Amino acid sequence: MWAMAMKEFRQMRRDRRTLAMMILLPVLLLVVFGYAASFDVDRVKTVVLGPRAVQVAAALPDRLDVVRVAPGEGRQAAVEALRDADATVAVVAGDGGQPQVLVDGADLFSARAVVTELRGRPGLPTPEVLFNPGLETSAIMVPGLMGVVLVFVGTIATALGVVRERQSGTLEQLAVMPFRARDVLAGKLLPYLGVAVVDLAVIVAVGVLLFDVPFNGSPLVFALGAVEFLFVTVGIGVLISTVSETQGQAIQLAIMTMLPQILLSGLIFPLQAMAPGVRWIGYLLPLTWFVQLARGVMVRGAPFEALLLPLAMLAVLGAVVFGLSIARFRRDLAPAGRHRDADSDAADQAEAAPSRAGAR
Amino acid sequence: MNAEPRSPGGPAGAGPEPPEALAEAAGATKRFGELLAVDRVDLAVAAGEVVGLIGANGSGKTTLIRMLLGLVAPTAGRVRLFGEPPSLGTRARLGYVPQSLGLYEDLTVAENLAFSAAAYGSSEAVLQGELAEARDVLVGDLPLGLRRRAAFAIALGHHPDLLVLDEPTSGVDPLQRARLWETIRASAEQGAGVLVTTHHLSEAEQCDRVVVLASGRVVAAGTLDEVIGDATAVEVRTPTWEAAFAALDLAGLPVSLVGRTLRVPGADPDRVGRLLADAGVPAEVASVAASFEETFVVLAS
Amino acid sequence: MNQGEDRWGCQGLSVRYGATVALEDVTFEAPAGTVAAVVGGDGAGKTSLLRALAGTVRPAAGTVRRPAARRLGYVSAGPGVWTDLTVDENLGFAGRAYGLSADELDRRVGWLLDRTGLAEARDRLAGRLSGGMRQKLALAMAVAHEPDLLILDEPTTGVDPVSRAELWRLLASSAADGAAVVVATTYLDEAERAATVLLLDRGRTLLAGTPDEVLAATPGLVVEGTARPEGLASWRRGARWRAWSPDGSAPPGTSPVTLDLEDAAIVAQLREDPGRAA
Repeated sequence: MWAMAMKEFRQMRRDRRTLAMMILLPVLLLVVFGYAASFDVDRVKTVVLGPRAVQVAAALPDRLDVVRVAPGEGRQAAVEALRDADATVAVVAGDGGQPQVLVDGADLFSARAVVTELRGRPGLPTPEVLFNPGLETSAIMVPGLMGVVLVFVGTIATALGVVRERQSGTLEQLAVMPFRARDVLAGKLLPYLGVAVVDLAVIVAVGVLLFDVPFNGSPLVFALGAVEFLFVTVGIGVLISTVSETQGQAIQLAIMTMLPQILLSGLIFPLQAMAPGVRWIGYLLPLTWFVQLARGVMVRGAPFEALLLPLAMLAVLGAVVFGLSIARFRRDLAPAGRHRDADSDAADQAEAAPSRAGAR
Repeated sequence: MNAEPRSPGGPAGAGPEPPEALAEAAGATKRFGELLAVDRVDLAVAAGEVVGLIGANGSGKTTLIRMLLGLVAPTAGRVRLFGEPPSLGTRARLGYVPQSLGLYEDLTVAENLAFSAAAYGSSEAVLQGELAEARDVLVGDLPLGLRRRAAFAIALGHHPDLLVLDEPTSGVDPLQRARLWETIRASAEQGAGVLVTTHHLSEAEQCDRVVVLASGRVVAAGTLDEVIGDATAVEVRTPTWEAAFAALDLAGLPVSLVGRTLRVPGADPDRVGRLLADAGVPAEVASVAASFEETFVVLAS
Repeated sequence: MNQGEDRWGCQGLSVRYGATVALEDVTFEAPAGTVAAVVGGDGAGKTSLLRALAGTVRPAAGTVRRPAARRLGYVSAGPGVWTDLTVDENLGFAGRAYGLSADELDRRVGWLLDRTGLAEARDRLAGRLSGGMRQKLALAMAVAHEPDLLILDEPTTGVDPVSRAELWRLLASSAADGAAVVVATTYLDEAERAATVLLLDRGRTLLAGTPDEVLAATPGLVVEGTARPEGLASWRRGARWRAWSPDGSAPPGTSPVTLDLEDAAIVAQLREDPGRAA
């Protein structure tokens, strides 16, 4: 028995990817649950509009973090501010009577916190919840889940699909056939993209029809964001495939890129609830921007102009990641002075011969 | 085709009294549902001899080996290792090197050695020459020739009485192959019995005896000369081999190209001559002794 | 379709992967209508040579003459077939990749399936074929478009003898149709069937020429005896020992033998590196 344990220990020591996973994953989870996992939003961005804006702003509870006071604007501006995610709460302080308090229902946890607080204080008006008046979790989760599906299909499926060629040894066959590298890649990715699109359509349909998830905005803007996002996730998938020899390795890497995205993108735990030291990680993740875009379009009905930031971020990430992945993939396929790394050929032959003998 | 083993004197080969068998299969049969993988096979390996087991894929070779190793129980017939049915006790006297070498690629040679020695409760084998220099190299980083030698050395580490080697020299160059066979022979000379499987018919020369399997049955057994017997092939010499090839191929004959001459195993020289004449191809046609490979192909079909 | 004047091959070819030299100054010719064998053990550089010929690896030095990608056929050392596609689908993919029209494809696929004996396995997944049948499928895929140069990397390693004989018959038939066929193999008895042989060892040429030329060029004498001959480089062959006598004399207890390629190869390796002990 000891001999067995000794051998396993030695093998484990050398398996860097698994070791990395075993160490990094707990660290990640620690960070997340220590600093990121919280549903409590301390401060909620608020704008105060209308003639008596200044006075009202001074009297608001601490939780409402006033970022703009605009006496010249009215309810229309308030609705737009919420729709464009400039603020979560908009107070319209008219000349007479109670001020109107509008709350963005798409910013779910903030909204709930505000509504609870204001209900407890007499003298303050009942807040009016726009965009998800029922404060339903499904309304904001379903758009987020669409992002997860795209991450899944884009990353895991493409990583596996491409690694499969490498693992089975047929990549070399393809390299000899009169294909251009881009034909091979495009041909390989097309089925997965097709599936992703179908998946998306199904989820939208089910969400809207079954769960009453709103779809208030422009499908075109949504489609644009989805396409950009797909470029990013597929690019990550292809990149993973270029550094993986086996499907097992590809899945390990894919999991390591998916998990932080699911936990830190604002999908589950709102970004504002995360400690600032951790929040910046979220802004680097592609899923974060897609979730913002999806919620903005579907729940708030935000227009194209308001969504420029997420669209731009996705475009940049897409271009960089996808471009990098194609460059790497081409190296694998097209003739080059360096086929892979230094002693790959000897390793290839040594690798190929026993497995050949074993396979037949 | 022909189910009778073609050898004089019975399954153990020539000699008045067969020496005690280290591994023995008598009428061994294995059925997997409808499939008859091994059909009444007789086989014996005695101390000091090298027996070659030759067969196509699907011939039952692998199943037979697994029965001898004790990994699979026979449906009928008898399998004995060192005189008793295969068991945990017999494993200690057995050395096995599978096709895939059975080494851990992410461990060094020395670590593999240590593991094997600990598993068998024996002392570690002593490495020599190039292998000793490669002690601390990961097996995955070794070229194939050294890997095979490492696998041998480790399998021999506990001084087994019986060696079972599956395709031991596949993929190595001629000099290394000769060296590997030296090691195999040396073990046999020291008293071990060796059972070798191979696709490589020219390696049959290296064995004392061969057993040829096809479709689960023994179709030939004995020394190489005995097995080839007086099988013949027709050799065709002609300046226009392409035309001759096409003509014979069209007629459905198993013609093959060897260098610049054509050979047709098991054919009638007159028929070949006629076909070529009809096709207008000038050629010299002669009957020659068949090679082992040609005999095998004829036997196996 | 036979352009008899095509001489594919390489001149002074060197291939390097980073710091590792896989091939050094190798010259090799594959004339149309013949089968040329490239022989050597693992690590000798066979795969590198074939890849350079096929164009998937760029030479560090030297030149390679090869036809256009569409006129080339290649069978790699791995399975070379898509295991989760059927035989028919594999052939279809290969045909379309090489630009065969639908009609041509139909015709060729039917013919190939008959020729390789795979007709009954037409709808079987390639992953479920035996090693020999998989190799035949890979070969069929590589000749579907009737290439001018056909390259095969160890097509018969680990393949059962019956399938191996059939594979060689298919290769001969390709050569008979005018293709230049290049085969890498570790089996010297196969190399003896080829029209020309190239023996590689650690990236360098040890022997080159027709089998007869190679045998004739081996200096000295190879002798055989029952005991290990003393003072000579020797090796085991079956139950007997062979040794190489450079000066042509046969020591007592031995007798000269007729050389075959295996002997020539071993002698060449011994001459190259006399210290290469076990």
